[in-house]
Amino acid sequence: MTVSLATRLVTRRSPPLHWRRGFARAAVDAETNTVAARELPPFDYSPLPYAGPTADEILAKRKEYLSPSILHLYKNPVNIVEGKRQYLFDENGRRYVDAFGGIATVCCGHCHPDVVEAIVNQTTKLQHSTVLYLNHAIADFAQALASKLPGNLKVVFFTNSGSEANELAMLIARLYTGCHDIISLRNAYHGNAAGTMGATAQSIWKFNVVQSGIHHALNPDPYRGIFGSDGEKYAGDVQDIINFGTSGHVAAFMSEAIQGVGGIVELAPGYLPAVYNTIKKAGGLFIADEVQVGFGRTGSYFWGFEAHNVVPDIVTMAKGIGNGIPLGAVVTTPEIAEVLTHRNYFNTFGGNPVSTAAGLAVLKVIEKEHLQQNAFVVGSYLKERLTALKEKYDLIGDVRGRGLMLGVELVTDRELKIPAKTETLHVMDQMKELGVLIGKGGYYGNVFRITPPLCFTKEDADFVADAMDLTLSRM
Amino acid sequence: MAMVKRSVGVYQRLFGSSYCLSTSAATTDHDASQRLQLPPFDYKPRPYKGPLADDVFARRKKFLGPSLFHFYQKPLNIVEGKMQYLFDENGRRYLDAFAGIVTISCGHCHPEVLNAIMEQSKLLQHTTTIYLHHAIADFAETLASKMPGNLKVVYFVNSGSEANDLAMLMARLYTGNIGMISLRNAYHGGSSSTIGLTAMNTWKYPIPEGEVHHVMNPDPYRGIFGSDASSYARELQDHIDYGTSGKVAGFIAETIQGAGGAVELAPGYLKLAYDIIHKAGGVCIADEVQCGFARTGSHFWGFESQGVIPDIVTMAKGIGNGLPLGAVVTTPEIASVMAQKLQFNTFGGNPVCSAGGLAVLRVLDKEKRQSHCAEVGSHLIQRLRSLMHVHDIIGDVRGRGLMVGIEFVTDRKEKTPAKAETTTMHERFREIGILVGKGGMHGNVFRIKPPLCFTKNDADFVVDALDYAISKL
Repeated sequence: MTVSLATRLVTRRSPPLHWRRGFARAAVDAETNTVAARELPPFDYSPLPYAGPTADEILAKRKEYLSPSILHLYKNPVNIVEGKRQYLFDENGRRYVDAFGGIATVCCGHCHPDVVEAIVNQTTKLQHSTVLYLNHAIADFAQALASKLPGNLKVVFFTNSGSEANELAMLIARLYTGCHDIISLRNAYHGNAAGTMGATAQSIWKFNVVQSGIHHALNPDPYRGIFGSDGEKYAGDVQDIINFGTSGHVAAFMSEAIQGVGGIVELAPGYLPAVYNTIKKAGGLFIADEVQVGFGRTGSYFWGFEAHNVVPDIVTMAKGIGNGIPLGAVVTTPEIAEVLTHRNYFNTFGGNPVSTAAGLAVLKVIEKEHLQQNAFVVGSYLKERLTALKEKYDLIGDVRGRGLMLGVELVTDRELKIPAKTETLHVMDQMKELGVLIGKGGYYGNVFRITPPLCFTKEDADFVADAMDLTLSRM
Repeated sequence: MAMVKRSVGVYQRLFGSSYCLSTSAATTDHDASQRLQLPPFDYKPRPYKGPLADDVFARRKKFLGPSLFHFYQKPLNIVEGKMQYLFDENGRRYLDAFAGIVTISCGHCHPEVLNAIMEQSKLLQHTTTIYLHHAIADFAETLASKMPGNLKVVYFVNSGSEANDLAMLMARLYTGNIGMISLRNAYHGGSSSTIGLTAMNTWKYPIPEGEVHHVMNPDPYRGIFGSDASSYARELQDHIDYGTSGKVAGFIAETIQGAGGAVELAPGYLKLAYDIIHKAGGVCIADEVQCGFARTGSHFWGFESQGVIPDIVTMAKGIGNGLPLGAVVTTPEIASVMAQKLQFNTFGGNPVCSAGGLAVLRVLDKEKRQSHCAEVGSHLIQRLRSLMHVHDIIGDVRGRGLMVGIEFVTDRKEKTPAKAETTTMHERFREIGILVGKGGMHGNVFRIKPPLCFTKNDADFVVDALDYAISKL
C-alpha cells in the first residue's frame, strides 16, 4: 500500500477525487520507524482543466524571447497554472503545497477571494488615473498602512516593487542627511537597480558597474559569523566603518531583520539596537527593509524590526503587501518626507486604485483571519519538526528563522560547515516530486527557504517536514 | 465672416440635426460657453458613495506626504472611468485628454483588457519566473513580433523608471564604457539613477549622478538651430570629443519628449545621433514609455518615424493600459552580457500583467488604433494650427498622432512662456469638462495625449474649448 501510494505521488496524474477529500495518514510506520510517503493534506477544490501551452512549449519561448539569465527551479521545471490558498496546481492538475509563497509574496493565499474581489471591483471602476487627481483608494490604504507602524512613521510613498522602495529610501536618506555613504550588511539583498545593487551584498547579484557610496559591514550571522550570536561585537564593525571609511557622518544603515535571499539569516540578538545608536551618533537614518519579513510573516510581530526593539526612520516594503500585485511602499516620518518637496517627485503607477485596493484588502484579511498568529503557531511547530530532523540527519547544519520565515541549511561537514550545494538541489527536486515546492537561498545556494502563504496549516507543515524526512532518508 | 462659419460648424458638430442651426454671428462669450458640451456617450456611471474630495485630500496631506502634488486649485476626485471619459464623485463626466499621463492606451476599463485581468486574477496572480507560466511567454513573443531588426529579447519590469534603469545597466555592461548621454529637457524617470538621465532641474534632486552628459536638445521650436538636425548632431559629436573619453556607454532619447512638453526631435536627428554614438562604441536606447504603442499614428513605435532601429527599447505606461508594467527589449547579443550574473525581478512578467499586456496588443490591433490615431491626430493638429492664426498666444502646435503639444507664449518672437495663462486655461478646461496635461520646463505647454479611442468629435470639442478659453483670458 505504501509503495503504491508513493508511486501515485510521483507520477504526474492528478490523484483521484476521494483522495483529496481523505484524511492525512501517519507518515511514520510505528513498527519500523521508517518514513513513508503520504498524500497532501485534504483540500476541497478541483482546479480548472488546463488546455494552454505545455511546459516544453513555454520553455522554448522563454529561451527565445526572455532574458538568457532567466533562471528556473528544478531539472524539470514545473508549469504552474493555478493557485488557491497555500496550494498550486500544474498543467496536469497536480496539486503542490506551496512552501515558498512566490518568494514570500503570497501572504493571504493564492487568489484569496477577498483580495480578488477588491481587485475585480476596483478594476471595473477605475484602473489608473495617477495622483494628479484624487481617489479614495490610495488615501484609505495609506491611512490603514500607517496605523500599523509605530512612532511617527506615518507618511507613505507607494512604488511598484521592493527595488523601487529601497531606491527611494536610499535617495531620501541621502537628501535628508546631505551625506552619501550608506552601510548595509554582507549577504544582504535589497534590490537590483542602480543604488540597491550597491546595497545588495552578494557577488552573484552584482554586475561589474559602478556602485558608489556603499560600505558593507560584517554580517551578524549566528551560524557562519565569526562572533557567533554576539550582536554587540558585530556592531563594532559598523563603528569602525564610520570612523575609518567615511567622513564620520553617514546617510543611513539599512538591513533586513531576517535576510531573505541571503538564506533566512536572523541578525544576532543585540545587534540592531547597538547599531542604531552608532548610526544615530553619526547622523544617519535607520532603514528597515521589510520586503520579506513584514506583514505578520515572523509571527511574533507584524514587522521584523519589532523583534529587535528598534524604531526605524524609514521602512520599506513590497512582496506580501499586495498578495502578489506589483506594489511597494516606503513609510517614514513627516520630517524626513519633507525633503522630497525640494523638487518634483512622481511615480506614475505608484498608488494606483487597483493596487491600493488590493493592499487594503490584504491588511483586512491578515487581521480577520489572524494570519500573524497563525504564522506564529504553525511556524513554531514547523521549526520544531525541522529541528527534530536536524537531530536525525547530519546533513542539516542549521535550522533557523521565525514564524513562517524558516531556513534549513545543508552542510556536508557540520564542523567545517561545508555547503552541501548538490544535495540541496537534489532534495529540492525530490520534494517537488513528493508535492512540496520550497525555495533556495544563501550565498552558497545551500539553504532551503520556507516562506509559505500565511494560511499554512499544521497539516501542511507536517507534510513538508515528512517530505524532507523521506527524501533525506533515501539519500 | 470666418467666425460665423466657424460657429455654425461648431453647432453642426456638437448638436447635429436635432437642433436648429443659427446662422447669426452670435459669438458672445455666453453663447460660446453654452455651446460647449461633451460629445454624447451612452454610459451612466455607478452612484458613488465613497469618501468625498475634501476628506480624501485631507488624508492625502496627512498620510502621503507634502511632496505629493496634484492638478487644479480644487483637486478633482475621479472615481470611475470608461474609454476616453472619466467621472467625478458627482457623476459628472469629463473628456480625458491626458489618459492618466499618456498611460491609458485602449481606454479606461476597456472590456477586453478588463476581462483578461479579471480572468487571470482568479486563476493565478503571482508565482515568479522560477516556475513556468504561459502568459509571460505569450506576451513576450507577441511584443517581440512588433519590433524591427533583431530586437527580440524581453525583460519585464514594473515601471518606466525600472525599464530605463535596466537599459542603462545593459548599455554599460555591453560596451564596457561608463558615460551615458541624454538630451536636455528629457524625462526618463524619477529613481536615483534615472534622475541622472532626466534633464530638467525641477525633477532633479541634488545627488551624484554617475557620469551622465546632457547634450543640446534638437528642439525645432526653442532650439538654437531650429530644425537643423545636423547642427545639433555636430554638437553631440563635440560633446563626446571634448567631454568624454571619446567612448560612451549609450545614448537615450524619447522621439517626442513627454514631460518636456511634447517636443518632437528635429527630423533626421536620431539617424545622425545613432551613427555618432555607435562610432563612439555606445548603444542607442529609445525611450518609448510615452510615444510607443501606436500613439504616434504613423508608426507603432516613435523611433520608427525617425527611420532608426535602436539597440534597446524601453516601454511602460500604455503597455498595460494602466497596469504597473514596463519592459526592455533588446538584441540577443546585448542580452547575453546580462547572463554573467543573476538578475531577477519578483513582480516582473507576472501572469496578470502579462495577460493584460497581451490583451492590450490585441485590442490595438483589432480596433486599428494606430491608423485611428493618425487620422484623429492629424485632424486635431490641423484644427489647432488654424487656431494659431486667430490667437497669438499659441506659440507652437506640434506632435504626431495623439501625442500633441500646444505651447503658449505671451510674445511670439521672444517666445516668453505664458505660464500663468496656461494655468488659468488648464483650470478653465476642467470647468468645461476636459482634463488635459501640462508640461514643458516652464509649465506652458498643454499636453493632449488621450486614450487612443479618442474620436474626431472629442478632438473638435477640445479645439472649440481652447478657442473659448483663450477668448476668455
